[in-house]
Amino acid sequence: MDAAVRPVAPLLVVAGTAFLLLVLDLLPPRGTKRHLGVVALAGVVAALLVTVVLWGREARAFSGMVVLDGFALFFDVVICYAAALVLLLSMDYCGRHGIESGEYYVLVLFSTLGMMLMAHAADLILIFLALELMSLSLYVLAGFFRWRLTGGESAMKYFLLGAFASGFFVYGVALIYGATGSTALERIAAAAGARPPGPLLVVGLGLLLVGFGFKISSVPFHMWAPDVYEGAPTSVAALIATGSKAAGFAALLRVLLSTFKVVQPDWTALLWGVAVLTMTVGNVVAIAQSNVKRMLAYSSVAHVGYVLVGVVAGGALGAGGVLFYLLVYTFTTVGAFGVILLLERGRQEAVNLDDYGGLAESHPVLALVLALFLLSLTGMPPTAGFAGKFYLFGAAVRSGYIWLAVIAVLNSAVAAYYYLRVIVYMYMRDREGVPTGAVPSFAGRLALGIALWGVLQLGVMPAPVLNLAQAAVAPLLR
Amino acid sequence: MALGVFLIVAIVAVASALALVLRRNPIHGALFLVVNLGCVAVLYLLLGAEFLALAQVIIYAGAIMVLFVFAIMVLIPGKEETGPDPLRSQRLMAVPLGLFLLLEIALVLWGSRSGGGVGGAASLPQVGVRAGGIESVGRLLLGDYLFAFEVTSILLLAALVGVLTLAKRKSE
Amino acid sequence: MSNIVWLIPLFPLLGTLLNALFGRWIDRKAHWVAVPALGCSFLLSCAVFLKVWQGETFTGDLFPWIQAGSFRTSVTALVDPLSAVMLLVVTGVGFLIHVYSVGYMHGDPGYARFFTYLNFFVFSMVMLVLAGNFLVLYVFWEAVGLCSYLLIGFWYTRRSAADAGKKAFIVNRVGDFGFGLGVMYLWVALGTLDYGEVFARIGALSPTTATVIALLLFMGACGKSAQLPLHTWLPDAMEGPTPVSALIHAATMVTAGVYMVARSHALFERSGVALDVVAWVGGITALFAATIALAQTDIKRVLAYSTISQLGYMFAGVGVGAYAAAIFHLVTHAFFKALLFLGAGSVIHAQAGEQDLRKMGGLAPRMMATTVTFLVGAAGLAGLPPFAGFFSKDEILASSYHRGPLALWALLLIGAFLTAVYVFRVVFLAFFGAPRMPKEVAQHVHESPLVMTVPLGVLALLTAVAGAVGIPSAHGMAFARFVSPVFPLPEGVDHGGLSAYALLVLSVVAATAGVLLAWLVYRGRPVRAEAIGRPRNRLHALVLNKYYVDELYDAVFVRPTLRAAGFCARTLDLGVVDGAVNGVGRLVVGWARSMRALQTGYVMNYAMATLAGAVAIVGFLLWR
Repeated sequence: MDAAVRPVAPLLVVAGTAFLLLVLDLLPPRGTKRHLGVVALAGVVAALLVTVVLWGREARAFSGMVVLDGFALFFDVVICYAAALVLLLSMDYCGRHGIESGEYYVLVLFSTLGMMLMAHAADLILIFLALELMSLSLYVLAGFFRWRLTGGESAMKYFLLGAFASGFFVYGVALIYGATGSTALERIAAAAGARPPGPLLVVGLGLLLVGFGFKISSVPFHMWAPDVYEGAPTSVAALIATGSKAAGFAALLRVLLSTFKVVQPDWTALLWGVAVLTMTVGNVVAIAQSNVKRMLAYSSVAHVGYVLVGVVAGGALGAGGVLFYLLVYTFTTVGAFGVILLLERGRQEAVNLDDYGGLAESHPVLALVLALFLLSLTGMPPTAGFAGKFYLFGAAVRSGYIWLAVIAVLNSAVAAYYYLRVIVYMYMRDREGVPTGAVPSFAGRLALGIALWGVLQLGVMPAPVLNLAQAAVAPLLR
Repeated sequence: MALGVFLIVAIVAVASALALVLRRNPIHGALFLVVNLGCVAVLYLLLGAEFLALAQVIIYAGAIMVLFVFAIMVLIPGKEETGPDPLRSQRLMAVPLGLFLLLEIALVLWGSRSGGGVGGAASLPQVGVRAGGIESVGRLLLGDYLFAFEVTSILLLAALVGVLTLAKRKSE
Repeated sequence: MSNIVWLIPLFPLLGTLLNALFGRWIDRKAHWVAVPALGCSFLLSCAVFLKVWQGETFTGDLFPWIQAGSFRTSVTALVDPLSAVMLLVVTGVGFLIHVYSVGYMHGDPGYARFFTYLNFFVFSMVMLVLAGNFLVLYVFWEAVGLCSYLLIGFWYTRRSAADAGKKAFIVNRVGDFGFGLGVMYLWVALGTLDYGEVFARIGALSPTTATVIALLLFMGACGKSAQLPLHTWLPDAMEGPTPVSALIHAATMVTAGVYMVARSHALFERSGVALDVVAWVGGITALFAATIALAQTDIKRVLAYSTISQLGYMFAGVGVGAYAAAIFHLVTHAFFKALLFLGAGSVIHAQAGEQDLRKMGGLAPRMMATTVTFLVGAAGLAGLPPFAGFFSKDEILASSYHRGPLALWALLLIGAFLTAVYVFRVVFLAFFGAPRMPKEVAQHVHESPLVMTVPLGVLALLTAVAGAVGIPSAHGMAFARFVSPVFPLPEGVDHGGLSAYALLVLSVVAATAGVLLAWLVYRGRPVRAEAIGRPRNRLHALVLNKYYVDELYDAVFVRPTLRAAGFCARTLDLGVVDGAVNGVGRLVVGWARSMRALQTGYVMNYAMATLAGAVAIVGFLLWR
């Protein structure tokens, strides 16, 4: 492989697959688009394999704009898993809802490409472009339901607010350029390290954080999330909740750890407050939700708060914990969305708590699987959620943020209430509400199986993957 | 001389931007936007960036504005926004918040001017007089920023696919 | 030995998986999976016990579990005399109760589910006992709690059962919160969670730190072992099937707290204060629960309060440093309390689910086997010689007299007297006198099948003979010698006062007096059903209503929390949070508006929040 192209090899695979899909879409058979999903999935799996082949290498290309390092590769793995699981679920879901089309798969691939690029980018301009590539595709995907009024509206909302947040981001980039004369992360770090940091740089960082805050949906930039999750196709909601968040954290971590080390006390203090606000608001509001998709949306907001705890803690433990948690969170959340998605039938959604009454009787396996995912979200051993939270909060304690850890633990206890409520409904209530008669297709079952495997494997034996994650962040901490 | 031109153009730019936001008639708003974009083009010229200035005039003031005006004409012909503002209290909140942000940023700029250090305006890079010239822009786009340039084209492709999808579904 | 040890939890785990995955097809034959699995575990436990008897111990890692920086934890097993004894109790009593369940749960629609949970419980409990460090202990501590929750709510269609499950879960969370904090603090203080290392380095802890950690851990023990003030869940837990009450809520799981405190006795001793707290909580609970048990009319609830009281004895024993005596009482209690519960289950089974003592009476002629075995159990509980309970309870009483304050000993002695009263009250009310049940039920009263009475017989035998290992001798009792590698034998100091012999006589007198009193009240004259369970005076009403603890918690914790949650949901969230942006109450009015206007408002809302956030962030960074 040519040395210049190697750092972007996984990206090229995904991009190439997207172009191939655009052509294949025009060719017969025209009646069904299922084969396009298979091709897209093959592309993502191929990208995953390329990532594995590249594992352990470090390189830069295109004037240092793109990097290949363990950090980027780890996030490639997280994002590829998210994309692959979402594609599998989409094959089940889109057919049933009549929104299966070539463009759907192409846009999923484009957004995946944007996400992976965010992890590889070493230049603020490239980060911005990647962010837009990801977001633009997601805006369209979120509005894929033509028959559902909320679908179009939530997509519009997502778009408007996303553009608004991007404005802040670009302004931040401009200020940082003004302060240091460069947009390349390395040169910014060098310039910032040379002299004591001035306010221009710090405020530029603040505005960047607004843009990132929107993408990872931290409080107070989280308000779009519940509406969009509710209105978007469930498969897309899963992608937004996992892939786009992982990508946002990838870029955020790289920017904060490698570039803005000089002003670390500033952003740690800021993110401390954001973390506390995010998890508390997310959990408290989630309690009041009776719509399961909205509940998961607020819960995902709360989980962003937990991940921010790891960012605040910093160091190999904290940052490694963040990477590990994002992988865990991807499996768990895609799994939970997957079960909800499989229970949607035709145009009737099973999204209210009442619809889950007596699920254990009508669909014992699905109920058990959903219960496991919810337990992982709660953070109960032996699921992966426990291990992930353990590392994050442990890192916070290690770095001396005892109160932050205590608040996080209290929040987890609050969260247990609304997760367990669903389990109680499934196992201890009678059947009522919309009758659902879902028989998951092979693709759906495969997706749930992989997600479940991830949740249990990472929960029972977290050490090997955690070591990989800690090794992955090492280059950033140098 | 240059300062005098800058001041005049800057005042016109700010005034037209304000008018754009405050006018109720969308066509008027669009026309003020043209004025604003033109002023910014003049500012580019003052900085010696001819290419940017020309691009600004041709693409934004020209092509995109025509599109805006068309869209307004087709969708809401000659209709002003009327009726009471449904969220008046928000507007009242927005003004102080916006002013506050402005104040903060002004403080930053003022502070950095006097403070020096990283982020001081004094440390602004000297990129050469002809930084905005066609040649330097071309070199940057096809040299250092080649990859970003290519990513932009994929971004546009994604936007194209997205727009087609939305439009197709509308027409069905 | 390493191979055998890991096989003990493996069998119940396999049983769980088989019944969980293929339960639908196995269904009526679920016991063919579950019971042999436990039988194998029991045999292996016996083998392990014999090896330990010969002086072997075992510590081994299964696999490295968590590695984070300097923090490393493996799934470790520790087999010493203490865990060997616990293993025998868990698998042995567990096996008998599995067998009993085959008869008791016969025909229940959730037959396979029941055995899945039961096997999983045994697996978790075995792992809890085997655990070689605090983290593994904590994990399985939670796992047995989960099993308990699932089994209490086993008949989830009954509202009371679902509520009881929830209550057990919530009350236990309160305790486990402290337990979790304690484990974390221990790690922060010592940097390790391994039993061996922790106890070796215990001197490095300051007594204050040790006190805080020990009390946090004890909070967890209070929740799990239903001690004051976290005892309220256990009586409600009787909503579960009776074998579950016998296995989990009497014989094994609830004793986990005692086991944990005994296991970490070095920590509690380092603190000193914590040990006193344990002793007093135990002593007060012992008397407190015994008084409540006097007035209850539900047979299972009497036994539940009796369990709380007996656990109090164990804690009192641990608190005064008589670890061997406490663990010995744990073992004998497991036998006779399981026996009593299974006997009660047999009675309930015979009367088609009737649990009310007022509607029983005169069962003895119809169910001889149950009556005899229940009598043995009652004698064991009351502490009548020569049954097992006599030796173990006497040992605790003697230790508290010699090593604890006199008041504690007095509490326990009065408790012993009351114990005899309430258990024989049950005996007389249920088995003797004239039948008080309706005619149609009376005709159907029958002895339970062999599969239920055989475990009763085995347990009765154990209750009768297990005391032998506790007979005091010149070298201390045999049981204490066996566990002496874990709990060093106390030096034979004589504090003067009453001699051991006098104490023995005193406790026998107390127990006998209790039996006599029960006989006088409930047998000496005819019992009127309507007179029982109706408050006769203030004191009786107080005891009958369990000192109003539930009502107190309801008023102090539950209601305010619900009100606060409602306040947060309605006022704070809708009113203040949104209102800060939108003007209080505007949003609520806005709901009624047309979709379009509402949605526009929303985007502006969100954009406004984004702007406010940006202002806050920039401001924060600027003025920091």
